[in-house]
Amino acid sequence: MTIDEAKFILCAYRPSGRDAQLPAFGDALRMAGADPALGAWFARSRAYDAAVAGKLRRVEPPAGLREAILAGARASGQQRGLGRGWAWASGVAAAAALAFVVFSMKTPARPDAGGAPLAAFAISDMTYARHGGRGEPAGALVAALEAKGARMPGPGQIDFDRLRDTGCRTLSFAGRDVIEVCFSRDGTLFHFYVARRDGPPGDSAERGASFISEAEGAAAAWSDRSYDYAVASKAGVDAIRRLL
Amino acid sequence: MTSEAFTQLVDAHYAPLYRFAMSLARNGPDAGDLVQQTFFIWATKGHGIRELSKAKSWLFTTLYREFLRGRRRDARSTSLEDLPPGENEPVAQDADRVSRIDSAAVMSALQSVEEPFRAPLTLFYLEEMSYQEIADALDVPIGTVMSRLSRGKAQLRAAFVSADTPGAKVLPFPGAGGERAS
Repeated sequence: MTIDEAKFILCAYRPSGRDAQLPAFGDALRMAGADPALGAWFARSRAYDAAVAGKLRRVEPPAGLREAILAGARASGQQRGLGRGWAWASGVAAAAALAFVVFSMKTPARPDAGGAPLAAFAISDMTYARHGGRGEPAGALVAALEAKGARMPGPGQIDFDRLRDTGCRTLSFAGRDVIEVCFSRDGTLFHFYVARRDGPPGDSAERGASFISEAEGAAAAWSDRSYDYAVASKAGVDAIRRLL
Repeated sequence: MTSEAFTQLVDAHYAPLYRFAMSLARNGPDAGDLVQQTFFIWATKGHGIRELSKAKSWLFTTLYREFLRGRRRDARSTSLEDLPPGENEPVAQDADRVSRIDSAAVMSALQSVEEPFRAPLTLFYLEEMSYQEIADALDVPIGTVMSRLSRGKAQLRAAFVSADTPGAKVLPFPGAGGERAS
């Protein structure tokens, strides 16, 4: 074995030393022990590898990813064969597959309604995530939401790009940006979520509100031609019904 | 698999899977999608795996396959055989250089490594997988893993040197901070 061959093999040697007993490294390790120059190279190489590994392990996943995974998986149940963006796709969230109680308010929940995953995501986010951070457009949206008796805002009242770009809290759910603001109505705290519609071509049907209820709280989700919406609250379904 | 068991599985693996996905996809949203897609596949297929000890390997393999499946074919990609041999000579200051820069910059340097070398390198550093485990996860021969580790390390080292060169900078990758606004 040449020096270069030994270096080549030792490149695969884990810096923790867990490979010390593996036969594949035996000759190269013995060579490093007998050759001071190779030994010094190996020591530097392991220090370098340990430094890189330590730095990389400090990279943290984005806030909300864990909750999005759990909410998406629960909402999708055992459905199969869905591609990228599955959690929002029109085929997701058949009511029978949901582990949640889903029931209709104004219109019956469609079996293929895309809103249920967003509602589940909203409950998870409301429960676990930190909230806060607003820009001026977000402040205007909150004011509109908090107006007594006001209906939930529609496309004409939401400038999605401006909200996102001016500091409104933005989450990622199934690869989509979701805007979130908190607001209070009649002393009850709510969380309002908006995401652009991204169904298959031609899928722009408006969807009436469907509700889910869990131990942590409740949420409603609905859609118009431009956006998917959700409202979540720990106060339960009745509080959300009064809001809508 | 119960909901509780699934939650435990997610808690145990979503962060390292995200780091692996970040190194492959090179941006936060796509990395998040890959992780979600991986767990979705587990929820629909992987629950058939009875041995949870094999879950980790299964998840990394599945994520990598999903990445390859979704990646556009690049006609200009370089054949591995055309690449120069790896440079195995670590500069004396390498470890010090790495310790001085932040994690995002190290990830950015890793992302600059060519994809065939990046995947094994990431599993080596992030998961401390053995060459055999990497070979299994990526479905490539052991010799190929060793070759790619050697060349990948050389490229990573070059990226750090480049970052230290005046006028050159390793830019932080997008989405490193998780939420993009708060």
